[in-house]
Amino acid sequence: MNYKDYDIANFITDEFFIQWIKSPNENNSHFWEKWMAQHPEKRAMVNEAANLIRSVKYAHSPEFTDKMYVETFEQILKADNEHSSVKNSKPTPISSSSKGSFLFFIPLRGIAASVLVLFCLWAQYEAFNYRPEPVEKAEIPLIKRSNLAGQKSIIDLPDGTRIHLNSESEIEFPKEFSADFRLVRLKGEAFFEVKKEQRPFLVESGSTKIRVLGTSFNVRQKTNEPLYVALVTGKVRVDAVNGDQVILNPDEMLVMEKDGKFSKTGFDPMDVTGWKDNYLVFKSAKFSEVKKKLELWYGVNITFKGNPDKDWTYSGVYKDEMLENVLRGVCMTSGMTFKIDKKQITITNPK
Amino acid sequence: MINNPKLPNKEEVNVYPLGHSESIKVYENKSDMDIWNAFNKGDEFAFNYIYRMYVIVLFKYGCQMCKDQSHIQDCIQNIFIDLRRKRGSLSEVQSIKSYLFKILYRELIRKSNKSKEEICKEPEKIQKNFSIEFSQETKIIHQENDREKFEKIQDAINKLTCRQRQAILLLYEEGMTYKEISVAMDLNEVKSARKVVYRALSTLKSLLQKK
Repeated sequence: MNYKDYDIANFITDEFFIQWIKSPNENNSHFWEKWMAQHPEKRAMVNEAANLIRSVKYAHSPEFTDKMYVETFEQILKADNEHSSVKNSKPTPISSSSKGSFLFFIPLRGIAASVLVLFCLWAQYEAFNYRPEPVEKAEIPLIKRSNLAGQKSIIDLPDGTRIHLNSESEIEFPKEFSADFRLVRLKGEAFFEVKKEQRPFLVESGSTKIRVLGTSFNVRQKTNEPLYVALVTGKVRVDAVNGDQVILNPDEMLVMEKDGKFSKTGFDPMDVTGWKDNYLVFKSAKFSEVKKKLELWYGVNITFKGNPDKDWTYSGVYKDEMLENVLRGVCMTSGMTFKIDKKQITITNPK
Repeated sequence: MINNPKLPNKEEVNVYPLGHSESIKVYENKSDMDIWNAFNKGDEFAFNYIYRMYVIVLFKYGCQMCKDQSHIQDCIQNIFIDLRRKRGSLSEVQSIKSYLFKILYRELIRKSNKSKEEICKEPEKIQKNFSIEFSQETKIIHQENDREKFEKIQDAINKLTCRQRQAILLLYEEGMTYKEISVAMDLNEVKSARKVVYRALSTLKSLLQKK
């Protein structure tokens, strides 16, 4: 068959064409470029075929590290002198009879060919029906979820993404995501487990945009505090309002001030993301921090009586613990006392 | 024929054992058969070249059949050790890459004490062997409305049988010819490789029609 009679199915199964897409060299490039120039009407189809070919990738592609490279090479050379292990590493040839089991194909050439023709018709139809979508069809209703102090919630989005929303936080998202991207707006703190798919996932927090494909990370922006973005897995890009872009790798945390100044640090996952698994974590926390965290976590109001100890800090981890037990733990090491009256807590330092 | 494995970046070359980058220069314009013959005659540069060019793709390929990376590393080591021992009596090879793919495939089967069918068992397996990612990175930016169609293709692709995915990956990801695919997949005839590919693409179509 002549190339000019090719349909898309012919292209995607033609080795010379695939070679040009996958490993262009002088020879095949010369041929195909000339051919394309002579057959401009085939350009759309060729593009479609090329896209299809390029899109097929290994889903898992672990890296062969430099260390592995050198290690393996050295082992191979070393083995030249060790004949004792010959027996172990000698592959047993696979008998040719075992190949037979794979050749159970029914001769379906004719059927396959006709199906391929259908496939090509469909692909052509798709290719010619390409029309840019109208920008905004209709206003998609927005859903707003918010938590008061003492509340936490898990929100599952229609795309499979899971959001852990912390106390005193609010998230807004459309009932249905658009075809181009998935955008949510966050006030406060949330942990995202983003479902991987083609559309990028965008988190708008204040004037900052966080862009991801599939990943898990924590975003925290409280009033009068810097923005914290802590990445657990995957990769995220943070676009600041001033145009700066920061890429985060796993275990990195971005701290961005209101004026756009930022720095990257590591973080303690328990400290930063433990809340979503109901871990209440204090890490060398000053009294003011402990007070604020407890108020948020349990939705209570804490008053302090006595003289504050400036050097006092508290570290501890609680999971699913009653407020009373946490207060007991906090006060035990310090000699403070506490009193619970419904939502009103009084902590007293007798010293 | 010569495949075009991706050459590593220039600055990376220094971390590799001495002589590897030189071997590339010596051999990059020679045919696979010549390189293989030189290796068979004991030319260490030829061995360095082969190792340099194919060990990384071999590893990636191995990882499609087995999740244990150190096991794959061992198998790769074994096949090279064995090839070096057999120097002087190696048979002719037209495509080094597909030949290495074949012997790695056999080594993995041998080591796992599994049959070819078992190593390719599907589809119940949680982590499928030879799973394909159908990625449309450049496309999402320009043609968002194609997304749904590509999701369907992605879906359909991963409903293919393991052998079909293997063939499609060899064809598109590795850029192999049907002849090379038949060698790598240990098939008797080139025709069989074509059949697997054609069947895969027709299955794709029928799946897409069902919607």
